Amino acid sequence: MKKSLAAVAAGSAALLLALTGCSGGSGSPSSSGPVELTVWTGFTGGDRPGYAKIVKDFNASHKNIQVSMSVQPWDTITQKLPSAWLTGSGPDIAAPSSDPNAIAQYVKTNSVLPITATGSGDSRINVDKIAPALIKEYTYGGKLYAVPANYATLSLYYNKKLFAAAGISSPPKTVADFQADAKKLTDPAKKQYGLVLADNQTIQMWPILQWLQGGDIVDSKSCSVLQTSQGQASLKPWADLVAKDKISPVGLTGAEADSLFSAGKAAMELNGPWAAPGYKSAGIDLGLAPVPTGTDGKSVTLGSTAPLAISSKTKYPQQAQEFLAYWTSKTAQKQFSLQTGFPTLRTDLADDPDLKANEIISTFTEQVPDARLYLPQVPQATQVDANGYVPLIGKITRGQDVAAQTSAAGRTIDALTGCSS
Amino acid sequence: MTVGTPVRVEGGAAPSATRAAPARPRPRRRIRWQPAWLFMAPSLAILGVFVIYPIIVSFWYSLHDWTIGAAVQPFVGLGNYVALTKDPQFWNALVNTLELTVVSVGVLIVLGLALAIGLLRDSVVTKVVRSAFFFPTIVSLTSIGLVWRFLLDPQLGLVAGVSQALGSPAVDWLQSTSLALPAVIFVDIWKNLGFVMIILLGGLKGVPAERFEAGRLDGAGDWQLVRYITLPSIRPTLLFATLILTIQSLQLFDLVYVMTGGGPLFATDTLVTEVFREGFVNYRTGYASAISWVLFALIMLISLIQLRIFRYDDVD
Amino acid sequence: MSIDASRLPRRSTAPARAGATVKWVVIGVGVLVAVVPFLWMLSVSFRTERDLFQNPASLIPQTWSLHGYLGVWEQLPFLRLVLNTVIFAGVTTLLTLVLDSLCAYALARMRFRGRNIAFIIVIATLMVPFQVTLIPVFIELYHLGWLNTYQGLIIPRATSAFGIFLLRQSFMSIPIELDEAARIDGAGHFRIYRQVILPLSKPALATVALLNFMALWNDLLWPLIVTSTPEMRTLPAGLTLFGGAHVTDHAVLLAGATISLLPLAIAFFLAQRFFVAGVATTGLK
Repeated sequence: MKKSLAAVAAGSAALLLALTGCSGGSGSPSSSGPVELTVWTGFTGGDRPGYAKIVKDFNASHKNIQVSMSVQPWDTITQKLPSAWLTGSGPDIAAPSSDPNAIAQYVKTNSVLPITATGSGDSRINVDKIAPALIKEYTYGGKLYAVPANYATLSLYYNKKLFAAAGISSPPKTVADFQADAKKLTDPAKKQYGLVLADNQTIQMWPILQWLQGGDIVDSKSCSVLQTSQGQASLKPWADLVAKDKISPVGLTGAEADSLFSAGKAAMELNGPWAAPGYKSAGIDLGLAPVPTGTDGKSVTLGSTAPLAISSKTKYPQQAQEFLAYWTSKTAQKQFSLQTGFPTLRTDLADDPDLKANEIISTFTEQVPDARLYLPQVPQATQVDANGYVPLIGKITRGQDVAAQTSAAGRTIDALTGCSS
Repeated sequence: MTVGTPVRVEGGAAPSATRAAPARPRPRRRIRWQPAWLFMAPSLAILGVFVIYPIIVSFWYSLHDWTIGAAVQPFVGLGNYVALTKDPQFWNALVNTLELTVVSVGVLIVLGLALAIGLLRDSVVTKVVRSAFFFPTIVSLTSIGLVWRFLLDPQLGLVAGVSQALGSPAVDWLQSTSLALPAVIFVDIWKNLGFVMIILLGGLKGVPAERFEAGRLDGAGDWQLVRYITLPSIRPTLLFATLILTIQSLQLFDLVYVMTGGGPLFATDTLVTEVFREGFVNYRTGYASAISWVLFALIMLISLIQLRIFRYDDVD
Repeated sequence: MSIDASRLPRRSTAPARAGATVKWVVIGVGVLVAVVPFLWMLSVSFRTERDLFQNPASLIPQTWSLHGYLGVWEQLPFLRLVLNTVIFAGVTTLLTLVLDSLCAYALARMRFRGRNIAFIIVIATLMVPFQVTLIPVFIELYHLGWLNTYQGLIIPRATSAFGIFLLRQSFMSIPIELDEAARIDGAGHFRIYRQVILPLSKPALATVALLNFMALWNDLLWPLIVTSTPEMRTLPAGLTLFGGAHVTDHAVLLAGATISLLPLAIAFFLAQRFFVAGVATTGLK
């Protein structure tokens, strides 16, 4: 057997030698030319050109740094990035996920670099000018590990034609109107839905519904409050609206909900600014309004942000931070908002007249102060979502008992977050 | 290959039987094995480096609370495997995977054999029909998953459109916890039927016509011919098809991932979609590796049982 | 000598004829089920969303729209993707044929100690799910410096256990006497392999080539994992990148699927003889 092993080894060595002859290219990156930085992001949607413009403008104004951005689906980044960053073969900068909580994992494994080039001026990251909630979300143990690549709020999209046909003159202002309108706009005979609600592969919209009714998912100690009486009371009416009144099909993905709305089969949807161009080009008579106020009379919506972080193995930490500084700069962000309709992530752009003049941007920006993040800084947030919250919504919208399911989900969530109450 | 070379009469076991015939002097036999390893070296090297070594590494991961990139990978022994036995999601995925495999492989073999027998005679019509059935085989599972996801959509899919035109309500196949798995199984069968048919056709073409004639002369009916002549004659081909299909079904991922993502409510979760979720969404590499080792062991076990059932004695 | 069914004694009674009718009706329905999804896919790739939602029962677009294809064409370096796919699938398939047939020859035709173990090891590698080895393989490719290179795409795929298995079965059905005759003429193993076994195994080799080429052409995850720059992507990978999470237009997604299927479909219609007849006559045992 020894001899045969030797034969295999000899054969494979010969093979590898023969093949490595043609392997070149990797290694020795720095000659005398400009520093080259790579960025991976998953922005494949309608907002993609906005990010590409930031990179292009940066390259034009920074001759000594050239950035190339590779856009691939979030799924692919999820699979490749951990091992790519571990081996140091990954990009210098990446948006690891569309979920801000994903950064926690990379912090835990020391894969991302703490950001230090903060301060004022265009070559530094103006931390004090970025929305505080976002900075807080990306800070672990007192250190900042990412900057927001974007900041979006969800607003209420509605189909004016369907509203007129149902005799409703204006978008709902309160949660009571919201629910009544959703019911009134539902017409099974025409396969028309009042309010399409996605619950998987989407930016979560169910937390908004809960917040409107005074409920929440976890408390400040990351303990589930779904099973409390407020928790149940905030889920029950919506679950009934889906399960009994059929205001929405069950189990929609984000993309499926969007396509129902753009086909004119849904009267209302909660969605971010990236959806507007598609709906307009689909010929929808589009209305946009802030999310209705909750039972307490206050406004609330969900904020969504993707993190942009630097690999701890990058050879060019300074240049990478310079790029993040440019990305989040006033010039770049104003340009980005105007191009994509996203609200601004900078506080010093909130009152910018050019941004205010744009109806879409101003609707989304108006809600920034009321926006809350989904499971911010909750331990194992991605699992709380996948194993706790998403299955719960799936079950109660299929008519299962809210009391029983919330307490089961609560146990799952508490076990994941390590809540000890 | 001329399928009717006179020497070959006995099916799969024949060549080895012939080869086993002694009385051939082999004076230098003791060193004959050397060139064999040279012939196999490139393939074995690649399989060794890119499949066998990685699977061993993943077993190592499965003994740890392994997270990619973490400074410390605590050793937990069989802890991950013990945790599996108490994990309802694992059992759910296991049951789904087994159900999917048993149903799809069973239906595929029966339908594929029926089609192969039905389309055995070469004519223009049978060739066209065979091509039509084979066509789905050339398409990627990702595309197929996408097309069927839309086809089965209650709002815009052709299936719902036609059933509503006929007066029955649209069914939301992929959002029903009881119908989603059958729908995925159906598409899996739809995709693989042509492949099975062609493989079995290849086997049937190799069966000498004399056997059937002899059977007819003995007064056998159609069913008896199938039972006593066709099936035994193509046993190795049946085994090959069953084995390949079983291995593929147990590893099914792309189709499920595109059609349902494992949902609704984990109703179509398979072992590999669970491996994907634990390993790449929840970052529990050690735990995901443990699941995949259970799957690997399961595939080995089932393959061995199949080899035994079919008495695949040609491995000498 | 394939079965010539016409030589079999047949009873052409009424029930038999009714049976034949039922058989062809069932087969006809089966053909419809096999083909209609593709016609529908083609149709939807030319339809607007509005048309799709309003006429779900129709197979034919009410209004034709090219926006799906235009979107794909404008945003993808199309020729580069096709070239990469051809290189990846083509070179890998050629290598696979050589390496698999060599290995299969040893397993089918040579007697040596450890043959069963070698065969079992090869078969066992079939049973390894790809997701499991993904992280270790990635790390290996990194150490070899093969990430984002053609050799990284090709070498790890340059042999297939399935191909070895299939070729071994096929080689075993070739009469051993042919080897003996060649050996008496003084031929060594390599000459027997090249001049006796390979020429007699063309259908089996064509089958392995075909199945491999299709699998590689359609492969999504592997090229996505190994490559990181757009210039190295293959067609299915490139199309996936194009159809991201926020693309909701069914025409765009199905136009992408149609485009990635098209080259294979054209090859299929041109070379049906190989695709179907080839697989059917491997003499697989």
